[in-house]
Amino acid sequence: MLRKNIKLKVVFTVLLTALFYLQSAAQQGWDVPADKKVKNSYIKFDAASAKEGEAIYTKNCLSCHGNPTKDNSMKSLKPVPPDLSGAKTQQLTDGELFYILNTGRGLMPSFSNVLSESDRWKTIAYMRSFNSSYVQVLSKTDPTKSKLVKINMDYDSLKSVVRVHVTAAEKNGVVVLKNAEVTLFAARYFGRLQVDKTMRTDNNGMATFGFNKTLPGDKQGYVNMIVKVNDDNYGEIESQSKLKIGVPTDKPSLTEKRAIWNVLAKAPIWLIVLYTTGVLVFGAFLLFILYSLFRIKKSGKN
Amino acid sequence: MSEQDEKPKKNSRRKFLQELGIVGIGSVLGGSAILAGINYDKKKTAGQRVRVLTAENELLEIEKSDTTKVAKTTYENLTYLQKQGRDGLAGKRFVMVIDLSKCRNARKCMAACQNAHHLRPEQHHINVLKMEETENTPAFYMPKPCQHCDNPPCVAVCPVDATFKRPDGIVLIDNERCIGCRFCIAACPYSARVFNWSEPLNAQADKDLTYNVELNVPQRKGTISKCLFSADRLREGKLPYCVGACPNGVYYFGDENEDAVTNGTTKETVRFKKLLEDNGGYTLMPELGTHPRVYYLPAKGKEYPFQDKDKPEALEHLHG
Repeated sequence: MLRKNIKLKVVFTVLLTALFYLQSAAQQGWDVPADKKVKNSYIKFDAASAKEGEAIYTKNCLSCHGNPTKDNSMKSLKPVPPDLSGAKTQQLTDGELFYILNTGRGLMPSFSNVLSESDRWKTIAYMRSFNSSYVQVLSKTDPTKSKLVKINMDYDSLKSVVRVHVTAAEKNGVVVLKNAEVTLFAARYFGRLQVDKTMRTDNNGMATFGFNKTLPGDKQGYVNMIVKVNDDNYGEIESQSKLKIGVPTDKPSLTEKRAIWNVLAKAPIWLIVLYTTGVLVFGAFLLFILYSLFRIKKSGKN
Repeated sequence: MSEQDEKPKKNSRRKFLQELGIVGIGSVLGGSAILAGINYDKKKTAGQRVRVLTAENELLEIEKSDTTKVAKTTYENLTYLQKQGRDGLAGKRFVMVIDLSKCRNARKCMAACQNAHHLRPEQHHINVLKMEETENTPAFYMPKPCQHCDNPPCVAVCPVDATFKRPDGIVLIDNERCIGCRFCIAACPYSARVFNWSEPLNAQADKDLTYNVELNVPQRKGTISKCLFSADRLREGKLPYCVGACPNGVYYFGDENEDAVTNGTTKETVRFKKLLEDNGGYTLMPELGTHPRVYYLPAKGKEYPFQDKDKPEALEHLHG
């Protein structure tokens, strides 16, 4: 009986601990995909990159996370933003930190559109500068290889898809980039509008994006499209081209219509007619009075 | 005859030698001049020609070395800024979307705005209001800039054409024309305008600046000031001061003609109409027919609770 009780207690404790652990894991874990976890920086984390990172950190991260090692993060937020020099942050891999910066969660915004890839790595370089035991593993990506990549883009109006074809002109001939991450954007005045999801190229180096033809273009319907390719071997490559895939848009200016608030030349017709008639009638009346006075004077003389 | 014949001969030889000397020296000089000229022309490359736009709007191409820089007078600068301020940005219709569910009353927008437009702390182009509309509905924070109406009552009442609407939708005020009658303050249903009752904040420091109608700086005593959608920033393709300063992703700003708005915090660009459709977008006081260019998304699923210390002010709105 006693033995059974102990067994039960042990099982219970183990279960409870597991539950507790699971719950805390759910709260803290970022669920970083395995391939993102092992991603490494192509920028060397040294004093120079850390210094540049500090400026970026001050501008974008300081208001919530506070100064590293000073424990002055914004405590009123839930969850409390951690001090990034702390052990919990430092035990994450570079790839995990990069993923967190990219995606954001809850109150933490995503920085993928705010900071360039190199700026994001420099921010991590700054965070790592507080960890004396950290040893960097550099990415094998050769940044000079990105120049070899060629991106072709065309629009299939029948299927209403945009096809992106990614190849690289290597010394021993043209090779296609397989399984490279491709993102398609339409350029807008203040930023880039993502079209469809981020895709991966297939075995032919092709990525296909759905594009419904409702996006406004310029007067002829041209839209400036931007493709961003991210490949493990070739790094990050961007390419732009103008495609005639938008709705031709030529809206009149907002001051075109006649309105009471518009300038004199654009005043409502009724106002112009009423005002002009008023002035003319008043003027005519004055003339009539003058004429009458003249006639009275004349008859007085007679 | 023979003597006579000889004389000219003698003369002609001397003359010939003289002329030869002149021609020789002349040709050497002339040749070197031509050579120098050719060298000079060679030095002038195509890059040294510049295009200039004359005051009569004629485009000319001339040698850069022939140009002299003429400093523009303050008056010319002012006229230029006023004209560009009235013309606006062709082909654009600017819109702002304010997501009330994200606002945590950080007031960073107000600080950035007052800093940019040299406003006193009590003067607001944008103000974060504490709202409670009925007793049973929850309180929320509501940033309120000028609504940049498409049917602006303030512009209709201005007797001197000081406040005007631009082709791109922005309502501006020209402090050089404003006579301070404050009709527009009375006409605006959103209380978006402020009056410079006293000397402006940076009056001394700003006194040598050329007035920019797209920035309202320097501010001028006895005239109106109002939100400008940061027209000077839009000209550079940048987001307004308030939008860029928000740490909480409250503001979206963009061009209605492009059907895209960009979030000031995350810089993420989304479709304008879809954003309104998915989140139940609305405008303030639509019953007045002012057609605002500022849209609101309701304070649904707030991530940050309304603070108790702000309750009294919210109730003030409720009970008047």
